[in-house]
Amino acid sequence: MTAAFDPADRADLDVSGLPTTVFGPRDIMWWGVLGFMTIEGMTLVVAVASYFYLWRQPGTWPPEHTLLPSLGWPTVHVVFLVASNLVMMRVSRVAHRLDLAALRRWMLVATACSIVMVPLRWLDFLALNVRWDTNAYGSIAWLTVGLHGTLLVTNTAEMLVFTTILHLRPTERHFTDAADSAFYWYYMTLVWVPLYVMVYWGPRFL
Amino acid sequence: MRAVSPSEITRADDRELHETLERVWGDRPGLVGWITTTDHKRIALRYIVTTFVFFLLGGLNAGLMRLQLSRPENDFLGPDAYNQVFTVHGMTMMFLFAVPMMLALGLYFVPLMVGARNVAYPRLNAFGYWVFLIGCLLLYTGFLTNTGPDAGWFSYVPLAGPGFSPGKRSDIWAQTVTFTEVSGLIAAVEIIATVFKHRAPGMSLNRMPLFVWAMLVTAFMTIYSMPWVASASLFLASDRLVGTHFFNPAEGGDALLWQHLFWFFGHPEVYIIFIPATGLVSQLVSGFTRRPVYGYPVMVLANIMQGFLAFGLWVHHMFATTVPQLGSSFFTATSAMIAIPAGIQIFCWLATIWHGKPQFRAAFLFVLGFIVVFVTGGLSGVMISSVPFDTQVHDSYFIVAHFHYVLLGALFPFFGAVYYWFPKLTGRMLSERLGYWHFGLFFVGVNVTFFPMHFLGLAGMPRRVYTYIAETGWGNLNLLASAGAVLIVGSVAVLLVNFFRALRRGDRAPDNPWRAETLEWATASPPPSYSFLHIPVVEGRSPLWERSERRPVVTGLSTEVRDTLVTTLVDALPDSRHYDPRPSAAPLYAALALGITFITLIFTPWGLPIGGAVFFLGMVRWAWPTLRSYREQLRYEEGKA
Repeated sequence: MTAAFDPADRADLDVSGLPTTVFGPRDIMWWGVLGFMTIEGMTLVVAVASYFYLWRQPGTWPPEHTLLPSLGWPTVHVVFLVASNLVMMRVSRVAHRLDLAALRRWMLVATACSIVMVPLRWLDFLALNVRWDTNAYGSIAWLTVGLHGTLLVTNTAEMLVFTTILHLRPTERHFTDAADSAFYWYYMTLVWVPLYVMVYWGPRFL
Repeated sequence: MRAVSPSEITRADDRELHETLERVWGDRPGLVGWITTTDHKRIALRYIVTTFVFFLLGGLNAGLMRLQLSRPENDFLGPDAYNQVFTVHGMTMMFLFAVPMMLALGLYFVPLMVGARNVAYPRLNAFGYWVFLIGCLLLYTGFLTNTGPDAGWFSYVPLAGPGFSPGKRSDIWAQTVTFTEVSGLIAAVEIIATVFKHRAPGMSLNRMPLFVWAMLVTAFMTIYSMPWVASASLFLASDRLVGTHFFNPAEGGDALLWQHLFWFFGHPEVYIIFIPATGLVSQLVSGFTRRPVYGYPVMVLANIMQGFLAFGLWVHHMFATTVPQLGSSFFTATSAMIAIPAGIQIFCWLATIWHGKPQFRAAFLFVLGFIVVFVTGGLSGVMISSVPFDTQVHDSYFIVAHFHYVLLGALFPFFGAVYYWFPKLTGRMLSERLGYWHFGLFFVGVNVTFFPMHFLGLAGMPRRVYTYIAETGWGNLNLLASAGAVLIVGSVAVLLVNFFRALRRGDRAPDNPWRAETLEWATASPPPSYSFLHIPVVEGRSPLWERSERRPVVTGLSTEVRDTLVTTLVDALPDSRHYDPRPSAAPLYAALALGITFITLIFTPWGLPIGGAVFFLGMVRWAWPTLRSYREQLRYEEGKA
């Protein structure tokens, strides 16, 4: 809703009727989330750029005597991550409806999904089949998975705190925050899928 | 007419409003208020004072270098001390002064210029400052304990890597950079969100002051460039701490990767300093010629073009490496292209001055000094954009001369802004007479110091040598450069005298001493905690020059809580209201927790889990609403507060 506003009208502008709960780009916090997504996204761009830069160095990729990464658990994880977006879509929908009871339920499910992904990320590391200090290939693979891992871990911590507050001291503001959580989750998925392809499938084709 | 500034109050209800707003937006008294404040003006002023102190320390380092080089075979500083001094000088001036100072000016003046009561995320803003302060203290603690970084401000590997830099000096470089980049990125997000969503009604994008545009472009550049150096410093730290091989050619790494990552940040970094400086020049030119700057749309587009081009120049720092020839030619072309937007700006300012009635106040003299110094630096820049010439003068004093002309070129508008905005910051006027002395000494000093360096470079004097033998014949020009440095020190001393004199017994500043056009002059000097009694409705590009019988203002915001107005992105139409949280010490705790994490990581990888856990507790403290703020927010949402 936009207040009727004409700059040519010389009367004072009464804004008391404006809403205090809005979603998406209308909300100030959404822009902060977008800002930090962009910053984190840039660090992932640096990882991708460095990955391909190092791939161009002399020698094979992966280097001799280094095993290819396994596909099992990382594939399970990526499928789980993509599927978990259905939960977040529900979170977003009930948040837009301002339905507190439903939001509490779905945020619990979402938090559980987030917690499950932390050990899955550890399995992602093991599936690289190389240590970070073996060679530059190992270093950049660990770094890429690790950078995205910090997003997962931070997100899990945030979900835990947020869901607790939602149960103990909820306000309307939390509907907007929940919708922003969903927005962030879509982003985490969107950036991980190409990174997964690069790290786990890339060495098979490069 | 409803008052915007407390100094305009004539109505009883406005007087009452002033008292109410002071209660809601003011900080608690004493130390508690000092620690918990989230007022953008107080925080930005802290940034300004902190960065200025480090400017003095960086200048002290420069003085030590000029003393050492003033005569051949001088033994005032040994090679090890000299390495630390020039590295810490460069880091201080770039990471602790120039960039944060420009961002700090943005954090102070952007909200005022767009008619907002605070920045978009006030607590995050406080957090950014504390993180920055910890980074500054880390660097100088290292330096004063003989653990100062010593591999140059760009810390090239393999010199800075585990093989050639044992000890913790390079790690202090890496973590100082991480701290300052985190705070820089926070400031950038603050500025973008404030500009996009907190502009006063009617201030559509095409009515924003040019300084605000410059800060917006700068903030975007910060977001796209700083993650590169933050990531690079992470690579370097992990090569040194946990044995990764990013820069180790023996295990498939590559030392040149460092240079690409660093300069993809490092070149835009120069524009992160320069673009705000152009915004300052625009405000000063309009303020002292009483004319809106000529060619507003092309001035905005010039800033945006510079923002884009800045990301296509990084390889010109690497012409002396094995970059393919075709690549070099591309970067020569883009480097020369930067002269196009810069030229447009210079001609627009000259046209404004030509058509205006310039008042040659101290602030305005700095604008004229800027044009001379910056054009000189720009011309030598066009010279070194040519690969054959660059390979000849690479790593020589010619380069030192060039980038000091460019960077000090940006310092001139900053000093101009000091004279222009000091009255707003402190409520006192600086002495014009001392200002003329400051300008004169500085202008002569800069040219006497740095112009001879062009010749030293052409004569073959390399950068970063701690001494030279008499037979090189470089002694006289070096002595001249050192004499110039004395003049620069004298000019800064005059500025300091001017500060203290003005604070003690300077004339009181009115709201708008220069009769300038932008909104920061619509309120008191210094501004009250709430900034504007009523948020003004903007009707044109020069709000204070619009002749208006009746100036409309915003009414209906809550006076019981920190209620802020959110407007639409393009047209700044009122769209919603947002509850700003109360002041809090949580940002300080979170910053301390982050400090523990980063500093522990210098010594052990266990810093990550330990620091992560501490940081988590800090964030819980931050996010958890106190009972008071919870109730306040509920009342606000119900429309009762």
